[in-house]
Amino acid sequence: MDLRFLVQLAIIGLTFFMLINASALLVYAERKVMGFMQQRYGPYRVGPHGLLQPLADILKLLMKEELRPKGADRWLFTLAPMLAITAAFAAFATVPWGAETTLFGLLDQPVKLGAADLNVGVLVVFAITSMGVYGIVLAGWSSNSKYSLFGGLRASAQMISYELSYATALSAVILLAGSLSIREVVDGQAGYWLGVVPRWFVFLQPVGFLIYVIAGVAETNRAPFDFPEAEQELVAGYNTEYSSVRFALFPQAEYINMTTMAAVATDLYLGGWHGPFLPAEYGWIWFLLKVGAILFTYIWVRWTVPRYRYDQLMQFGWKWLFPASVVNLVVTAALVLYFHA
Amino acid sequence: MTGDVLAFWGLALLLVGSALAVVLSKNLFHAVLWLALALTGTAGVFLLLEAEFLAAIQLLLYAGGIVTIVVFAIVVTERLVGERISQTSRRIAGGAVVAAALLGLIVSAIVERPLAPAEPSIGADLTRTIGELVQTRFVLPFELLAVLMLAALMGAVYFARPDD
Repeated sequence: MDLRFLVQLAIIGLTFFMLINASALLVYAERKVMGFMQQRYGPYRVGPHGLLQPLADILKLLMKEELRPKGADRWLFTLAPMLAITAAFAAFATVPWGAETTLFGLLDQPVKLGAADLNVGVLVVFAITSMGVYGIVLAGWSSNSKYSLFGGLRASAQMISYELSYATALSAVILLAGSLSIREVVDGQAGYWLGVVPRWFVFLQPVGFLIYVIAGVAETNRAPFDFPEAEQELVAGYNTEYSSVRFALFPQAEYINMTTMAAVATDLYLGGWHGPFLPAEYGWIWFLLKVGAILFTYIWVRWTVPRYRYDQLMQFGWKWLFPASVVNLVVTAALVLYFHA
Repeated sequence: MTGDVLAFWGLALLLVGSALAVVLSKNLFHAVLWLALALTGTAGVFLLLEAEFLAAIQLLLYAGGIVTIVVFAIVVTERLVGERISQTSRRIAGGAVVAAALLGLIVSAIVERPLAPAEPSIGADLTRTIGELVQTRFVLPFELLAVLMLAALMGAVYFARPDD
């Protein structure tokens, strides 16, 4: 076993370890930001400034009794949260988070920062996020409860509808970069226009970026599109009947999905790890900062905009967002053809 | 090599098992989930053949798209309308004849033209090659498929339209 292989394994481990931590940190950040926006402190008691609150939450959830409704489908009820969390983790597998590095000369050949590097990385992220809906639908179906069922139905309808706009918006970026590999798309954004403006695709694709971010909110079932778990109508939606660890896996999958969404947006629109001032070896700091900024925006939106009505969601998705993304794609294709030919 | 062989047999078992479960399970909802597993296993076979593009598309379209819609349809009819649908395999004899004929056809094709043991070299980027072929040599079937899809879409809209 050579050193490079071990380092690669360590990077994979680190990627998923950070992903778990991201979900815990996001719970904390969500409550803290919500607190500030509502002029109160948020969690403050456990640890300094409430920093250990996520750990306390996890412990509390682990101690709870695991319940299963009598009429529930035994296997599917157990399988659903596992599917949700597996899809969430797997989707991050092809997302790179840093430039190639030799770890300050430790290795002869550079390693890539990221779990896996496929030449169709963008498609793999799509494919696996689209599998994420199974966890929610199965949870809704197997619980044998009307609230869960409606939550699951809403989730599948919503995710199918918004997946289209999301994929079409990303296709425009693929056209610009001329590659399906996320790493190559990121490297296509290195450098500056006129020496000041970074060559990020967000400047070429402002409409596409907006569509991606909106569809991303709907795809991860976040407010203002959190219909699958609309508390005032559906108790807790698809996860109403869940408790203990099985319950904990659903919000965790949601937070990991958010992180993936933000990481993909960073890689494809915001130049990934490219940025001024820092040498390429420290590019991952830029990556983390950008992902953090997008995630903050997600939380900000959630506690600012109230939930829409369900028919508004469908109208908006099919009659505005999807046509806009198609027009964006066609215009981009025409421009790419014009300037490259 | 051994890793490949092991993965192939694992996938083969998974595929045959889940495909059998699709036709044998009484519960329609379970059958669809087995179908999703079978389609995911097919993506695994593509991945084993180093066709990452096909594997990703297989997952995206079949397991992520089509089966999700079937699941949706079953949930709506079974739980909301309250109609219990169970799978009853009635015409077993006819089905067996068709299945045997198909098997014979595939086996005879393989015997007639044995598959090349060495993998054909594509040279360039596989995804790019597929894209170029679809836009040049196979552009007519590609466009015809698009028309077919459009017709299917319009048919669906026609059926879903409320009576007035």
